[in-house]
Amino acid sequence: MRTEPLQVLIAEDETIIRLDLRGLLERQGLRVCGEARTGAEAVELARTLEPDVAILDLRMPELDGVEAARRIYGERPLPIVMLTAYADRHSIERAVEAGVFTYLVKPFRETDVGPAVRAAHARHEELLAARRQVGEQPLRPVVVGLRSSSGAAWPALRIGRDGVTVVEEAD
Amino acid sequence: MRVLVAEDETLIRVDLCQLLETAGHDVCAQAKDGAEAVELARSLRPDLAVLDVKMPRLDGIEAARRILDERPIPVVVVSAYTERSLVDRAVESGVFGYLAKPFREEDLVPALATAVARFEELAAVRDQVESLGEALAARKAIERAKGILMERERLSEQAAFARLRTASQVSGKPMRVIAEAVIAALAPAG
Repeated sequence: MRTEPLQVLIAEDETIIRLDLRGLLERQGLRVCGEARTGAEAVELARTLEPDVAILDLRMPELDGVEAARRIYGERPLPIVMLTAYADRHSIERAVEAGVFTYLVKPFRETDVGPAVRAAHARHEELLAARRQVGEQPLRPVVVGLRSSSGAAWPALRIGRDGVTVVEEAD
Repeated sequence: MRVLVAEDETLIRVDLCQLLETAGHDVCAQAKDGAEAVELARSLRPDLAVLDVKMPRLDGIEAARRILDERPIPVVVVSAYTERSLVDRAVESGVFGYLAKPFREEDLVPALATAVARFEELAAVRDQVESLGEALAARKAIERAKGILMERERLSEQAAFARLRTASQVSGKPMRVIAEAVIAALAPAG
């Protein structure tokens, strides 16, 4: 299940920071599979390259990092790390809502990046696994109306979190 | 958020607590080692834990593992050491964040906010998994109990079900409990 090295997409409009980030990720044993300069490009590359993790700068032309995160996550869930110089409450809230897994605040060090990416990837894998389990369950918490072989209506069973309860006959 | 802080170095602990309070958190517990952190997590039930990795008695990663085993909460570890083996151990233990020391307020605040949000998301999905599993088990138990009653009491399917329902209503216990009792009492051996 776990593929090493992790394939990382980076999106950062400032060339120097982008190059720096690439070098630093590779020294941390991660592989940079794509580099985007805008949010729109990040969405495009996430679609075509199917990275394991995306690191997106918050402020980018065309589409900002949060909006790019939202679109990327909407198409194919993957852990997203937000890169920013501004960790104010408002942008944190926006990023959290968009599903962002963690933050890296500039200026960052090599030792900040590897652990953040690996923790985000591992927890996101758990989230996906749990979601798959829900999807695979043949039974959702619903009201089940049973009918006898003769077709007579039976009381319905409500099967949910609180266990099974009988609800009054629906028809 | 009620936060448990575990850090063996007093100065750093005081600093960390102050930083958390400034960010609007309530530091409800301070531990000086991992074992104490596990105990305080158990007795004070914090919403969130920030644990130093290198601590006496029990390290922060092992403490995280034990805390998560007992009652899952978002855990962020902090450490001056970021070698791969340590990071991998921490990640495997289930922590949501790993911050390299020294860190700034602007590193800690978003790390905690995202840890809490993503933890809650995961917890919600896991609750769903659990409740679906329970519901499935309930349905299986009811089907089986119904079959047993039909066979033993020579009841129609409908009558068997009605008995289970009546027992549930009279006792105020869920159908699953009734069904399991029927199975335990009447199921053929083997």
